[in-house]
Amino acid sequence: MTVDAKETSESAQLQKATRDIYLPPERKKISGDDTIHISAKEFSIYYGDFEAVKRVSVDIISKYVTAIIGPSGCGKSTFLRAINRMNDLIPSCHTTGALLFDGEDVYGKFTDEVLLRKKVGMVFQKPNPFPKSIFDNIAYGPRLHGVNDKKKLMEIVERSLKKAAIWDEVCDRLDKNALGLSGGQQQRLCVARTLAVEPEVLLLDEPTSALDPKATAKIEDLIQELRGSYTIMIVTHNMQQASRVSDSTMFFYEGVLVEHASTAQLFTNPKDPMTEDYITGRFS
Amino acid sequence: MSERPVHELIKELSQVLVQLSDKVVANLLDALHAVKYQDEQGARKIRMVDDEIDLAEVNLEARCLAFLALQQPVARDLRTIVTIIKINDDLERIGDLAVHIIDRMPEISPEMLELFDFESMGMRAGEMVQKSIKAFVSKDRELANHVCALDEEVDVMHRSVFKKVTALMKGPDSDVDQLIAALSISRYIERMADHASRIANEVIFLVTGEIVRHRGGFYEKLIESLKE
Repeated sequence: MTVDAKETSESAQLQKATRDIYLPPERKKISGDDTIHISAKEFSIYYGDFEAVKRVSVDIISKYVTAIIGPSGCGKSTFLRAINRMNDLIPSCHTTGALLFDGEDVYGKFTDEVLLRKKVGMVFQKPNPFPKSIFDNIAYGPRLHGVNDKKKLMEIVERSLKKAAIWDEVCDRLDKNALGLSGGQQQRLCVARTLAVEPEVLLLDEPTSALDPKATAKIEDLIQELRGSYTIMIVTHNMQQASRVSDSTMFFYEGVLVEHASTAQLFTNPKDPMTEDYITGRFS
Repeated sequence: MSERPVHELIKELSQVLVQLSDKVVANLLDALHAVKYQDEQGARKIRMVDDEIDLAEVNLEARCLAFLALQQPVARDLRTIVTIIKINDDLERIGDLAVHIIDRMPEISPEMLELFDFESMGMRAGEMVQKSIKAFVSKDRELANHVCALDEEVDVMHRSVFKKVTALMKGPDSDVDQLIAALSISRYIERMADHASRIANEVIFLVTGEIVRHRGGFYEKLIESLKE
């Protein structure tokens, strides 16, 4: 096989594997079977009569990073929260259409929400550690799921803090209160707490909007570290952040998914004029 | 909706580019005129204007780089700034080629120049530059395509000069130095047309987001052209 033919073949495989999501060379293809992890089909979310997310159909490929952008109130956080049924806490909220996780209906009659939330972890805008020790914060989830062996818990705590790139900063003060950490450290602790229950998906809802640039950079680096191990979805108002960290980007406007494309494509040559106007700041 | 300051700035940078192109085209036509009439004073002026062009090119590039760093543009804004940087570079090269023509002036006599129609060739290259810039301003893909087609005409003119020069060189009393100078001038004008064609390709990128350089059998055409 010539080099050209090999490159063409690899490129074709990449296109097929990532369902037409183009990745620039600096973003390596994730090895694996490229399954659809999350799939929405004509999926709508209502608050009472108000349709906040309108008939969204989209496939999210396993272990890539997907960014969700759009103006305030466009439904991006509502869509994100629907994936682990956080919206269930709002009484008037209901859905139509289908939202599938690993092929199973998230809103199915027999879906176990606790198990779902174990598989689909979430990190919020404002760091929210429990007023407990760093150790207890990380061990909280595993304990809830029945792990009580001290040695086993220690292994989980160390592994999770290492994965969240904060172990070196806290390993000598695991018994100290987590509220004593800086904002950036608290947010990485929250990521570690989510990772402790071994989820498959990480939902990040504006995870750096309350952080300074240095802490933001650490979270963005962490997303790159976790890419390939977890399916990551991040809602962000910072478009430069979306372009830096994600493989594909979804643009929402007034509840409608206007465009879903590879991040490189969407930020250089978007197909929809509305996307173009939004990302170039021409929105009226 | 009124333009945001950031978009006003893109417009301003585009206008600076257009002003630079006007200067470059005028200098190109002045260079052809100076060579034709062996105008030493005109030649000095052309070198001075080229210095101004060089300075303007550096200033515009610096402003575009600052824009990229500070505004972090995306989509059409990003493509516009990248296109300005690339066209700016092409215009500066065209400016240098006009000076190269002046550099050949002492090596070629008016009689030798009369054997070749460099004025038409140069006018056509100048027209290509003007049209490619017009295509940039109006984001006109059709006009950009038209400029690319015009490049073939200038290539034909250059090949015709090449054939004439080689035929004359075979004569018993041929003045090889002057003929080489004539061939060089033809080559410089042909390169100017190539730069205009590149500008047109950059306009196509601006409009469509597609990089069209080296497509459509570019190398095949080049090989065919060399065979001829």
